[in-house]
Formats: sequence, structure tokens, C-alpha cells
Amino acid sequence: MLEEIIKNYLINTKGKDASLFNDPQLQVAALELDSLDMVEMLFEIEDRCGFQLPDPTRYPKMGFREMLADIEAAIREHNNGELPDLRLEGEQ
Amino acid sequence: MTKVLITGMGAISPLGADLPGSFAQALAGHCAIGPAPADIAKWLPDILLAPAASEPHTLLDSKHASLDRASQFAMVAAGEAMTTANITPQPADARRFGVFVGIGFGGAHTVDGLYSRFQSAVQSEGKRNPVLMHPLSVPRMMANAAAAAISMRYGLNGPSNTYSVACASSAIAIGEAFRAIRDGYLDAAIVVGCEAMLTPGSLLAWNALRVMAKPHADDLARSCRPFSQDRSGFVLGEGGAAIVLESAARASARQQPALGELCGYGCSSDAAHLTAPSSAEQVYAMQQALDDAGLQPADIQYLNAHGTATETGDVVETESIRTVFGSREHSQLAISSTKSMHGHLIGASGILEFVLAVMAMNSGSLPPTATLEVPDPRCDLDFIPQTARHGCQVDAIMSNSFAFGGSNASLVARRYPQ
Repeated sequence: MLEEIIKNYLINTKGKDASLFNDPQLQVAALELDSLDMVEMLFEIEDRCGFQLPDPTRYPKMGFREMLADIEAAIREHNNGELPDLRLEGEQ
Repeated sequence: MTKVLITGMGAISPLGADLPGSFAQALAGHCAIGPAPADIAKWLPDILLAPAASEPHTLLDSKHASLDRASQFAMVAAGEAMTTANITPQPADARRFGVFVGIGFGGAHTVDGLYSRFQSAVQSEGKRNPVLMHPLSVPRMMANAAAAAISMRYGLNGPSNTYSVACASSAIAIGEAFRAIRDGYLDAAIVVGCEAMLTPGSLLAWNALRVMAKPHADDLARSCRPFSQDRSGFVLGEGGAAIVLESAARASARQQPALGELCGYGCSSDAAHLTAPSSAEQVYAMQQALDDAGLQPADIQYLNAHGTATETGDVVETESIRTVFGSREHSQLAISSTKSMHGHLIGASGILEFVLAVMAMNSGSLPPTATLEVPDPRCDLDFIPQTARHGCQVDAIMSNSFAFGGSNASLVARRYPQ
């Protein structure tokens, strides 16, 4: 679900080409997100997991999948190793 | 000095989603005032509003969905004005093209949403973190958000200035853009007024000031009654309006016809009271605007009054207009308060009323003070009661904006070519 949330934001709000995400080697830098885009993207997750993810400036140096794994690890660390339900109220 | 021409106009208002629609409804005497939605009415059952005729985000590209509602109104109005003026993004003289915006309260929807989210999270029994806010909250609520969005949308590198002068905000923005072009600092400007604060928080504050109209017994829509004996205050509206100003040389070089010449601007401060107006300084603003234009009072055929329908405001403005233009017996001036129909758009009111006045000049049809049934004897001028007047020869118009805080602005425009 984490991956879908971020991809949906990047495709629907930032107009990124959906086919970009077919590349397993996709780099975050290739998405050409500025600092505001990055914090806005992270907020899509933070709003669901209830805490602020640390230091967004490190993500542009990562691969896309590496970033997803890093975010998931941060969420698990905050939840005793569990990945909580990331649906917002009203979402099925 | 350079002549300053109006080459484009636009509006999204309670009367219509564009300027021609808004003007047509104004001529029809349509009052776009109604009850508040449930989330406001549950606290303020008698409060009345004039919401925009169309949701602004539906008229914009999806990338503008994250802007505050006020900025969205600005973008819609600017888009219509730039299209009318045949101006596309990235003009060759971008550094000589400025953005001037008037807004009273920036980002009211964002601020209300922020506190609403905070309160909801506090009451969620730990399910949500009250500290987490959208990272674009500040860029959305800053007063110059609309100016920034417009300058980026059109690639305009001249100054992008925002004027916050309460009800005179966008009239001042027009006047300052006029001076910048006339005095040679710029060759063109897009001027916008916008306001969007029909939110629970804003309306609680306005209600506390006790200046809001009470529901009219016969017809809620006719509750804003400027210059009437039974007036009870104004109705808050929302929307935006815009004009493109260009030097005559720039417009001529690209063979762009003008909708009129902006030729006079006067401004003053009462320096007396936060909300009670002063006739002397209103008179001074109007006289400055006439002098600036090189016109006599008799040269103006139509005046769009500030006309808020407050007890003091209407009487003082009548006195001021009478001082400048003479009594009804000695003047041919026709006056109306279109706030009777579109409500008070605060920061956007000056420019909306100015573009309606320019439309009146060019069409010869004068919008009425639609709800003026029994005039206050102290408001004894020709306020075009109830129905529009057609077939009028209008060579020049004036528009007044008098703000809380004591700031006054008057604008004069005339036909071009004369």
C-alpha cells in the first residue's frame, strides 16, 4: 500500500508518467522533485502513519525502491516492528 | 506621461463565472445572496453570504488544485483578463510586465482548515497526531500567494506586489499599477483582486463586528440594501476580478484594442477611526482622481459607489459625493452600489466594481442599486433604484473604495479613443 500511495501522489498530483515506475532501477533523482514536492509527497505518508519522517534531503540520493524500504523501516520502527493500516478514515 | 489603457478584463463573482455573465446578472438586478451552509448556519443562523457562482477549481488545471481558494479565484479572473487581452505566457518584455494583487485576508480557507484539522485530531483520542499539518500550509496562506501563482503561470519578471488595504485593496492595486506604467517603471501589468473567506472562523469574527446585514423579511436575496432607509449592513461575498493594463505604445504596437483608458487615481487616509469613515478624506481621494485625469465632476456620468449598506458609511459617502459632484438638482451623475447584488468582496470589491463600471461605460447600460426601494432621506442622490438604466451616454466613470482602517481610493476611467 505504501508504494501505491506514493505512486498515486506522483502520478495524479505531480503528473509523473506511470511507466517510470516499471523500471526497478528508478532513481528518486530521476523524478525531478524539488524540496517542496518531496515534503508534500512524504506528507501523504505522514498523514496516515501519524509522525513526521526524518530528514527528507537524503531521499534524492536513493533509488525509488530503496526509498520505499527506508520509509517502511521508519514506520515499523515507530510501531514496534509492525506496519499499521495506512488507510485514511473513509478509505476502503 | 504615458497613457494607460485597459486591454483585458475578467471576473468570477457571485453573479457569474466570468465578467460578461456577472455584468448581465448585474443589469438584470439579480441578487446572489442566500443563507449560509449548515456548518456556518448552526452557529450563526441569520448570517447571509454571497458565494461565487462557480467553484474556481473546476475552471483551472488540476495542478492548481492545491492553491488556497482565494488564489484560485485570482487565477480564474487573471486567465479571463489575459485571454481577453490576447496575452500568452512568457511575453518577450517579461521584466517590464508586473503583477499587482489586492487581497484583504490571505488564505482564510487554509487557516480555517488548519485549525479544524488540529481540533479534530485533538479530539480523535490519539488516533491522529495534531502536530502534523500539510507542508504547503504556509505557501497557501501567505498574502502574496496569488501574486506568486500568477507571476509563475505567465512568466512575468516585473514586480509582483500585494496590497492588503482591507476593502480598498484591489482599488489601490489598480492605482499603483497605473502609476507604475504611467511613470515609466513598467509597460504592462496584470492587476487582480481576490477574496475567499466564507469560512466559519472568518464569519464568527465578522459577526462580532455587528456590521452584517439581517435577513430581509420578504426576500433573503434582497437583504443588502445600500442607501435604503431599512439597510442593516453588508453581506460578505467571495470571488476575484482582474484587468490588464498596458501603455498606449505597447498596446498600439501589437494592435490590441483598448476597453478604456485608466486616467485617474486618488488615495487618502482618514487617520481618525478604525471603522467610521471621514467625508473630508473621501472627498480628497475623489478630487485627486479627477485632477489626475484632468476631468471636471460634470465629465463623469456614472459612479460605482462603495455603498456597503452600513448606517454611517452610506450617509458619509453620500455627503462626500455631494460635496464633489453637487446635489441631485445640480448634477447628472448616476450612482449605484452593486454590492446590493454581489455582496462585499472585501479585497476583491474595488476591482470587481471597477470592471463593472467600465462595462457600464462601454455598453451605456448602468447596473442598479437593486434593493433600493425606500431611500434614506439623507442619501438623496440618483442611486439608480431597483432597475438598470439603458441607452446612457457614458464617457467617463469613477469607482470608490473606502476601507476599514480609513484608507480611501478613487479610480477614474474614460472611453478610448475618446
